[in-house]
Amino acid sequence: MKECLLCATSLETLPSWKSLVGMEEQEVICERCSNSFERADIKEEGTTLASITSLFMYNDAMKDYLHQFKFLQDIALAKVFRKELNGVLKGKTNIVPIPMHPEKKLARTFAQVEALLDAANIPYLNVLEKLDTGAMGEKTRRERLEMKPLFTLKQEIQIQPETYILVDDIYTTGTTLQHAAKILKEAGALRVEAVTLIRAK
Amino acid sequence: MMKDTDFTLRDFLAGRIWHREHIPFDTEIIDAHIKAGHIKVISGVTKTSKYFQQTHYFCRRCENEEQARFTTFQCAKCDGPCAYCRQCLKMGRVSVCTELIAWIGEDLVFANDHQIAWQGNLTPLQKKASAELIESNHQKKSHLIYAVCGAGKTEILFEPIYELLKDGKRICLAAPRVDVILELEPRLKAAFPETPIDALYGGAKPSLAPAQLILATTHQLYRFQEAFDVIFVDEADAFPYTADGTLKRAVKKAAKKDAPIHFVTATPSKQLIVEANKQGAISSIPRRFHGHPLPVPRYESLWNYKQKFEKGKLPPKLVNWVRERLDHQQPFLIFFHHIELMEKALPIFQTIDERIQSVHAAHENRKAHVLALRNNEVPGLLTTTILERGITIPNVQVAVVGAEQQIFTKGALVQIGGRVGRAVTYPDGDFVLFHHGISNAMDDARKEIVNLNKKGGKL
Repeated sequence: MKECLLCATSLETLPSWKSLVGMEEQEVICERCSNSFERADIKEEGTTLASITSLFMYNDAMKDYLHQFKFLQDIALAKVFRKELNGVLKGKTNIVPIPMHPEKKLARTFAQVEALLDAANIPYLNVLEKLDTGAMGEKTRRERLEMKPLFTLKQEIQIQPETYILVDDIYTTGTTLQHAAKILKEAGALRVEAVTLIRAK
Repeated sequence: MMKDTDFTLRDFLAGRIWHREHIPFDTEIIDAHIKAGHIKVISGVTKTSKYFQQTHYFCRRCENEEQARFTTFQCAKCDGPCAYCRQCLKMGRVSVCTELIAWIGEDLVFANDHQIAWQGNLTPLQKKASAELIESNHQKKSHLIYAVCGAGKTEILFEPIYELLKDGKRICLAAPRVDVILELEPRLKAAFPETPIDALYGGAKPSLAPAQLILATTHQLYRFQEAFDVIFVDEADAFPYTADGTLKRAVKKAAKKDAPIHFVTATPSKQLIVEANKQGAISSIPRRFHGHPLPVPRYESLWNYKQKFEKGKLPPKLVNWVRERLDHQQPFLIFFHHIELMEKALPIFQTIDERIQSVHAAHENRKAHVLALRNNEVPGLLTTTILERGITIPNVQVAVVGAEQQIFTKGALVQIGGRVGRAVTYPDGDFVLFHHGISNAMDDARKEIVNLNKKGGKL
């Protein structure tokens, strides 16, 4: 029997003709857990970053989710938001996940943003490289703003005069996204937008 | 190369199976002990091709082999396809490339000078059960203590535990629920003041000193193997122990070969009784330690209570019941079958008395609310079945709302009723089942209680 990935209660899903022919993805979490997440659907506009779209608020349920996904390394949870990510990213091109430092990726055994995109079947480009190993959460706002570049463009990467969409798991002050957008713009991107799963305040 | 054993490391690791990266010792010390042959390294998840080449995973920590509880992924660490176990994830993820470590060096030797500070008196029935349990330990035979709620089960264990401690045996007292462990910890520490005792549950930090007596939730036994000479499983019929096969395996794995595993419960399953009859012994105690009968549940109809709560209304019968408790200053528990319904009902109850609170498994103030009830700071609590066992509050009065619901099995109802009249000073109390129709489980529970009272009365 299938169980909710978050609370392990059994999922009683009625098969529809779409699910039988594999056209509809099956639910991976129960309704109760699903309702515990708070939709945000915030779109903020700016200059370096033309827009930042965030799908969910950072509430208790999301805090637990991130803990299990990132800290407990439960990559199975990448599937939880595949529908919502598809809703904003399906059919789009030039999708760029915010990269992790290789050492950190090794320790976590996977890169969480790429895992989210993979689970949603969204193709993406790895064009950026992370420079600093420090975690954002450990820095003060001032430190974040004064920091040296966080990313660099990978060698032999050509940026086209087109629209690029950055993807990250959580948007707090926007420093990470601003840094990444600046690099892409300087390399010739026409417009840079961003999509994050979570908006923290 | 280091030849000597680090005794602190041995004291901690002996009998355990531990995540190599999460052990509270320096990497160099661990490496040296592996090299010296004191520690063996085990792959966290083993992968075999069974059943016509289909991959079969097995978790070496929790012994889960339910394939749906493994997730496969591209692992950056081992640079290829890997798999991890979701069953024991919360204890730190274990995957194919995770290394678990176990102690294979010099054995731990425990002290045999212990003190027993407990000075209470046992009833003749408790004494008999205690002696029978000691005999079973001598014969290395499993034993079932089948004793009604309030029979004084823990006290029965004191003498047998003392005997084992003096023999230098390592003992585990396990229970499925953390509430039970929290209640047992101070009592056992008081009873055996000289004995190193460790209580293990989710979020508790294990001490580095070697504990001869370990109190643990059954989940924590995932982290042990061949560690104990005797294991007692308290409340052996409680969720999730009954529903989760890996917990039963964990208890077996944590026990040394041929070590007896004893069960203690007021509501044993038929299977447990059959097994005990076949391979072990049973001591049954149909009477409470204070000699008074168990409260027999009374039925009260509460038609369409769900719809009433939905509309924000409280059925008058419930209002009256709560008012009566408040007037008499009696603490009370009201059991619900579902969290959502309970949360909907809470604000309505708070219109009668705003101090009324609710608790459930994931409630952040669960411990504090129960303590507040005990200290008379809160007049009553709404609760899920989480408080059906393990707690003792003098003079508590109990109601079940929706007693006909499936979750209220015969065992659950007997346990819930077992909260009432436990203290010598208040040996009786109200136990009421509010219902929308009478279920078989309700009748079975009532019959069982009446029968036990008959048996107990004849003694």
